Amino acid sequence: MADPLVIETAGLRKQYDGVEALRGLDLQVPKGSIHGFLGRNGAGKTTTIKVLLGMVRPTAGEARVFGLPAGTEQASVGIRRRTGFVSDDKELYNYLTVGEMIRFTAAFFPRWRTDLEERYLRAFELPPDRKVKALSRGMRTKLALLLALARGAELLILDEPTSGLDPAMTEEVLQALVTHVGREEMTVFFSSHQIAEVDQIADRVAIVDHGRVVVAGALDEVRERYCRIQFVFDGDAPAAAFRAPGVERVRRKGRVLTVLSSAGSAAIVEEARAMAPASIDVIPVTLKEIFLETVVADDEAEARTSERVSRANGTGHGAPVSGRAGEFEGQSPSSR
Amino acid sequence: MLWHKAWLETRSRFLIGLALLVCSAGAMVLTYPKVQELLKTVPSMDLGGALGAKVREGALLASTYRGYVWSQWYGQNVLQLWTIFAVILGSGGLLSQMSGGGGLFTLSLPVSRRELLTVRAAAGLAELLLLAVVPSLVIPLLSPGIGQSYGLGDSLVHAICLFVARAVFFCLSFLLSTVFSDIWRPLLFALLAAGILGLAEQFVAGLSRYSVIGAMSAERYFRGGGLPWPGLLASVALSAAMLCGAAVNLARRDF
Repeated sequence: MADPLVIETAGLRKQYDGVEALRGLDLQVPKGSIHGFLGRNGAGKTTTIKVLLGMVRPTAGEARVFGLPAGTEQASVGIRRRTGFVSDDKELYNYLTVGEMIRFTAAFFPRWRTDLEERYLRAFELPPDRKVKALSRGMRTKLALLLALARGAELLILDEPTSGLDPAMTEEVLQALVTHVGREEMTVFFSSHQIAEVDQIADRVAIVDHGRVVVAGALDEVRERYCRIQFVFDGDAPAAAFRAPGVERVRRKGRVLTVLSSAGSAAIVEEARAMAPASIDVIPVTLKEIFLETVVADDEAEARTSERVSRANGTGHGAPVSGRAGEFEGQSPSSR
Repeated sequence: MLWHKAWLETRSRFLIGLALLVCSAGAMVLTYPKVQELLKTVPSMDLGGALGAKVREGALLASTYRGYVWSQWYGQNVLQLWTIFAVILGSGGLLSQMSGGGGLFTLSLPVSRRELLTVRAAAGLAELLLLAVVPSLVIPLLSPGIGQSYGLGDSLVHAICLFVARAVFFCLSFLLSTVFSDIWRPLLFALLAAGILGLAEQFVAGLSRYSVIGAMSAERYFRGGGLPWPGLLASVALSAAMLCGAAVNLARRDF
């Protein structure tokens, strides 16, 4: 039986002053997972997190945490009681000392873990008498993490937990997180635009782009599912339109036709044999490549399509077009 | 803990206000003997017109200690100082803390927005009450030192009237703080509103009965006409409406 879902959103939409931050976001985070939420700046990661914590009201759709509706005030208080959160800005109360900040936070959480508080105070070398305003960004991040971890929370939501940290500090924070999750039974949902970070600690991933989830699943399964198939032809590669499921992207350059698949290679290779390629290579792809192919390439396709439209219109500037990526090197994505 | 947080965030504004008002009250009491000396020269002054009338009215009021205290403390300059501190105490809060003030951290706590707002409003109003009562109590306490006496009851009645009417400007600033994300616009607009209201009440005859400014100075009570109930009730109604507006605004806001 599948693990119950701690976070579940369906058709989540959020519009700010005419700008759509979320465009029907569907997300499932199973209990006990370390779930990376990957996307570029402005992709909708922070808005999603804010919706989950009741800081932002969705325009449409549904968001549930622990089965409770995140959009209602009373349920949202219940969600926050069971959730640890580290915000992107890592801002705390500058006028308090580290010790006061800890005592203040502990007062709101009946399951506050004094043992963890003491452990992380020592491990992070946080000086209890120092004012928060006098802490470096790294130390503030560590304090924010301590305040989230010691809550005795069942769910940890971290918004870009390592942003602005140097590599050594980033490693320290990630290690602390992994060690903590190894000891405690909890679910972690963390957003990042650092692919290596997600690769290092997550067991599940969702890639978000333009307010939608474009890739989701267990990290191993995503890596297994995605592959690049390279066909080399004797002459120029044909403009192929694959019917096989899972064709995410097709690139044609000279004699080489490259297909990014999200559903293995067998069906595509079988279909391509009819085109009589001289050679076929199936190459595994990294999470970084999946990210770049699904997120960045979409923009390239959009830009090219937009450019073509503007050229056709003689306007000289791109107009927004629908059906993005559909014309990207002659292949429409099949599995979106 | 939310109370403690509200106190920590407003204590410097409150303590500065308290110190200023207590010093002003003390100075006002201690200068009365000098004023009495000056009053002896008033009959010899030959001043006509509006200025003369004002001087004579001031001299008449100051001929009794009770009149002097009312005219100098409750009826004049200190009102502006009180208004400024009411507005300052009402400004700030969650919205202004969103950039660099730990606003997101506050919102991540298992507390409803209504509770956050209620605690901040209650803490601010409690401080406002102390700003009205404590300096007012300085007057009956210091008066024997200059051979005068001032009724404790009078002090408390005036302090309560001041508080109730001043709460209007606190609540206005509080409401505006749920609209604007900086602390300056709520301050500026609330002070502007106080100025406009003061002028409007002077020129629009129908307003004087429900005058917030009139309730603040409690002139009716001073002249033996009882408490300025219409003005006090209007002030309470306005304050309550603005607090409700702030709650509605905060509840539907995205952060």
